[in-house]
This record gives sequence, C-alpha cells and structure tokens, in this order.
Amino acid sequence: MSPAEQAIAPERIAQAKAGNAEAWGELYRQYAPAIFRFCRRALPTREDAEDATMDIFIKVRQKLSQYDASRPFSAWLYTVAANHCWDVLRRRKLRQDLETGEVETMPLEHPDPGQLDRLIESRSSQEVRRALDQLPSRSRMALVLRYYAEMSYDDIAGTLGVRRTFVGVVLLRARHQLREILQGTGAGLATGESA
Amino acid sequence: MIHFDEMACLLYLEGQLDPVRAQELSAHTEQCASCRAVLQALQHETILLSSALTEDNEAIPARLISQPARAWPSWVWTLAFGIFAAGAYWLWADGIAPWFAQLSNAGFGGTDMFSMIVFSGAFWEGWSDMIDAMQIGAVILAAILVIAWFRRRLRRPAALAVVVSALLFALALPQHASAAEVLRGRAVLIPSGNVVHNDLIVAGPSVTVDGTIEGDLIAFTRNLTVTGHVTGDVIAFAEQSMIDGIVDGNVRLFTRSAILQGAIAKNVSAFSNSVNLGSKSTVGGGMIVFAAEAELDGKVQRDLMGIIGRTDLDGLVGGQAWIRGRSLNVASTAEIRGPARFEGREQPTVDAGAKLASPIQSEITQEGRRNRRMRARLFVRTVFGYAGALLVGILLLVVFPGFFRATLREVGTIGLPIAIGALGLVTGMFLAILGVLLLFIGVGAGVAGALAYAPILYVAQVFVGAWLGNKIMGEPPVATSAIIGRMAVGLLILRVAGLIPILGGLLWLAVLLWGTGAVMLGIYRITRAESAESAPVQPLPA
Repeated sequence: MSPAEQAIAPERIAQAKAGNAEAWGELYRQYAPAIFRFCRRALPTREDAEDATMDIFIKVRQKLSQYDASRPFSAWLYTVAANHCWDVLRRRKLRQDLETGEVETMPLEHPDPGQLDRLIESRSSQEVRRALDQLPSRSRMALVLRYYAEMSYDDIAGTLGVRRTFVGVVLLRARHQLREILQGTGAGLATGESA
Repeated sequence: MIHFDEMACLLYLEGQLDPVRAQELSAHTEQCASCRAVLQALQHETILLSSALTEDNEAIPARLISQPARAWPSWVWTLAFGIFAAGAYWLWADGIAPWFAQLSNAGFGGTDMFSMIVFSGAFWEGWSDMIDAMQIGAVILAAILVIAWFRRRLRRPAALAVVVSALLFALALPQHASAAEVLRGRAVLIPSGNVVHNDLIVAGPSVTVDGTIEGDLIAFTRNLTVTGHVTGDVIAFAEQSMIDGIVDGNVRLFTRSAILQGAIAKNVSAFSNSVNLGSKSTVGGGMIVFAAEAELDGKVQRDLMGIIGRTDLDGLVGGQAWIRGRSLNVASTAEIRGPARFEGREQPTVDAGAKLASPIQSEITQEGRRNRRMRARLFVRTVFGYAGALLVGILLLVVFPGFFRATLREVGTIGLPIAIGALGLVTGMFLAILGVLLLFIGVGAGVAGALAYAPILYVAQVFVGAWLGNKIMGEPPVATSAIIGRMAVGLLILRVAGLIPILGGLLWLAVLLWGTGAVMLGIYRITRAESAESAPVQPLPA
C-alpha cells in the first residue's frame, strides 16, 4: 500500500474541488508529508524536495478540477508529483533522455540467485537508500515511482516518456545498477549526474 | 531445459506478463529450481527496495506544515496593495515631491534620486568624499562574516537569545521618548509663565510655546511659534516655524518656512523652502541649511553649510562657509571669519565693506561639465556597485546557502514579496525619517534601526538578480558556481537597466520592493524552519 493510500473521504475531495478552503487544508495536511517524501527520494537535495512539494500543491490546487474521481486520488496526485519532479530534473539537465538506446542493448543474463540473495541479506535499508541516491536520475525515478508511489507501468511510462514495453527494462536496469553500487562496483555510475 | 530470463521473471512478479506466458512461466518454475530461485531473489529485492523507500519517514519541514503561500485570500493582497498605494502617495506628496522641488531650486537636477541620497549622505558626514556602494558592500560583508562567526560558535538557543535580546533592546530604546508628555489639540498653547518639567511632544494645527519646557520639544504642526524657553532641543515638522525665544539645545526643522529670531545655544539644521535668520538672532553652534532661499542676517558662531538656491548673507559666520547653489550675495554688513567656498552657477557677489577672512573660493559649474562629471561618477558607481553586490551575493550563497535558497524561492513567488517589500519600505521610510531625527538628538536607536534595514535593502538586488539570471539561463544545477554565474548575469542586467533614465529608477524601486520582501520572507522562513526542526514528527497518514 502506498504511503498516502488511505482514504480521505471522496466528498472532501469534491468539496476541495468546489473551492472549500477547509477541505483543501485537510487534503493538504493529509498528503503533503507523503508527497514531500516522494520528492525527497526523487530529487537530489532536501531543499529541492521542499520547493517541489510547494509547487506540486500549487499545481494540484489549480488542476483539481481536472481530477477524475473514478481514479484513486493518491495515484493522480503522484502522477502530478512525478511529472513535476521529472520536469525539475529536466530543467536541471540532470536527466538523461538518450538512455533508451542503451536500454535495448542491455545484456539480460540470468543472475546467480544465490549471490543476489546474499547481497540483499547483507544490506540494510539505509545502505540501499544511500545507493539509490547514487543512481542516475531516471533509474532512481523509475524505482521511486514503482516501489514508493506504486504507480502502474502505464503511468510510469507516461511520466518518464518511454514506451510502456520499456518500463520493465528501465526498472530491471535500475536494479542492476543498484546491485553494482551495493557491491561496491558502482563507481562511475553516477557520472551522468552533474550534481 | 530453456530457462526464463530475469526480465520475464520480473514482469511475472509485477503482474505485467501476458496470461499465456505467465502460465508457461508458472508451470516452468514448478519444475525448475534455478528459475524459482531467481523469482525468490527478485521478490526479496522488491521487498528490500520497498522497505528502503518507505521507511525513514523524514519529518516534514516546518515551512511545509502550513499550506503554500499562494493560498492567501485575495483580500490580503488588496489590503496590502491598498496600504502601499496610500503610503506611496503620502511619501510622494509630502516627502519626495517637495524635496525634489527644493533640490532643483538648490541647483540639483532632481532626477537622480540615488545621487541625491548619496550627496546628502556625504554632506551629513561632513566634507568627506561620497560614500560609494563598494564601501557599503564592504561593511555588509564584514557584518556577514561576523554573523557567520557567531553562528559557528553559538548554539541555536544562544543565537536566538542574542537576537531576541537585541530586539528587546531596540524595543526598549524608544520607551525613553514615551516617557515624555504628549499633547494633542487644535491649538496647543503653553502660556507664558507655565513650565513643563519634561520632554514635550505636541501635535495639532497650531502650537505656541510662550512658557518654558525643561526638555525637548517635538512638534508636528502647521504653525509652530516658540517665544518662550526650551532647555532641550526643538524638533519640528511644520509648515511654518518661528523660533523667537531661547533654545538651549539644537533646532531641527523640517518646514516650509523657517524664521529664527531668538537665541539658539547649539546647532541649527533646517530643511525648508525658505530660511530666515533674523538680525537679532544668534546660533551658538553651526548651521546646516537645505533650502530654496535663505536670508541670513543673524550670527552663526561656527560653520555654515548649505545647499541653498539663493543665499543672502548679511550677518556673521564665525567659522567657515560652504555653500552650494545658484547664487550667493554677501552684503556689506556680512562677516565670514573662516574660509569660504561657493559652488554654483553664478559668480558670487560680494558688496564693498563685507569682512571676509579670505576671498570666496568659487567654482562655477557649467551644465555640460557637470553632466559629464556626473556621468563618469555614475559609471564608476555602477561598476563598483555591481562588484560589491556580486561579492555580497557570493558570500551569502557560500555562508548561508539555506537562507539564500529560501529567499530565492520567495523571489520566485513574485506577488507576496512585492507586497511585503512595499509595506516594509513604507515603514522603513518612516523609520528612516525618524532615524534622521534620532541621529541628530544622538539616540542610538536611529542608528540601530538604519543598520538593521540598510543591509536588507542592499541585498535585495542580489536575490532579484539571481532570480533574473535563473529565468534567462534556466534553473541552475545544484553546483554553486552555476548559481553564481546566473547571479552575475542577472545583476549585470539590473545594473545596466538601472542606467536608463526614469525607467531605471522605477526598475530599481521595483527591485527594492521585491527583493526586500523576499529577504524578509526568507529570514522568516529560515527562522521558522530552524525553530521547528525539532517539532514532532508528522505521522504518516496510513
């Protein structure tokens, strides 16, 4: 279950949509922490995450009338957030738009499951988080969208601007990069980052 | 046996494989231990990833606890701009416009506000050179370094205590004045024989002091008449001021017409359309005059300095005289005991019989030459100002990156900082006027107020420049050098645009409003963030 996936009553969302300030306040208080944490994981610094959270909620308020109530609210919210963060990365030129080519040529070997299990067991959440920070933007973004925001492959494809069939490839590639960093061989992986 | 690749395993786990292939894979793993192990390992990896991403719920920053600033109701904006408009009108009608009129009478073009401020500033400092922007920049740099040094050594509560006690101190200072007697009325009269044993602050259409005030007299009125005795200073904002009595202290007048007939023991400064120093009057100290015309028949025991359109000197100047203006006439009854200097458009006239310690040194400025000189000075000031501002910006960015970013963010919201800056500037102007007064009567509060406000005004351009740079060159990467580069470009544009006549002035006014507002908001945000750092962790809604 995604961190913000609890029900704020649909009527409250409808009220916020209709311009009720109190309902909007409730909605903000409910979702701002989760969106901040999402941004924190998607963007390089805490300040960026703070800025992005503010901007996302300003956007959400403006776009609330476009929200389709048949969709889960948090999914919609994460889509707005993801698009915003991805846009921030693009403006910062931290994003690599030319990765698709490499994706198709990625060798997909059968991993050694024993070795992978040992690696996973020996690493703490904190180490994984640190390794995530070293990933290139798109890989990190893909993992965050999938395993934090629990977004569908369609939404991820829409956000990252890749074909749906490549989402799995992007995710797998990100996992491989993460494993390399965790194994201590990830030096130079983050060279695409200018931060 | 043909194994499934890792990609297929992952898609299977994530429910993304088409049903036929999913069934194949499912059947295969029942037979194949190796593929089963891959599935399990990937599953473990997914769990590790999810928990790593969802654990460590960092507390939400204080500034996000409240909703985004743009959610302010529209009436706040309306109110803020309304107050600003009223304040700006007041400032223009009662403050700047008459000054311009006076200054153009006194031989200044009156179009370059900055040079006016710098000139009058230099004038107050005495005879020293102009204070250029670089010097101000240097002082602010030093201040930033001192603050940074304190920040490193003091823990937050201690720093907070210092700030709070400084504020309390500043608040405590004006209480001195509030101990004074305050009178309001249509016509305030202190009759002859009456004694006020205190400072007196009076406001009303007409104020007359025939009695004695044992303290300072501060008056806000249309007509001020003092025929009695004031043992302290007289400070007046009045349309007409007449001092016919005895003042033991200084006289400071902001008035349209000033008539001085009595005996003033210390100094006189007058900002006035016309100043008349009667033949029977004496000024024990020096006299500073900003006026369109001045008739000085009385005795000034020490120096006379003035920016005066037309000066008629009939009386005595005990020290040196320095006058800048259009014309100077020294009558036969006049006497100047020190060196005299005149800068203006017309050659000064000295009647036969006038006693001068030395001939008047005069410098007659022609329009063209003066303009060229002004232009060169403006250019130098622009270059130094640019360098100074950039240096201050870099230092702020390096020493207080959090504050820099917070303020830059506030600049980006445009509306709110402009509104806050406008309010701040109006109150700031008021404080500055008050500060000038306090400076004269020697109370530190004026200095303290000016010291607190001036750096904010100065760094305003830094943030607007940085914002402009970002807009032009795109959002910078996190690298400091990139931010500095953008700031340099933005500041350069501001400086160059500032050279455009009239429009440049308006632009700078906008930059000041906008930037000061952002700085104030930045300070507010950063202090709030710091004080709320240890706030309880917001539980996750789940």
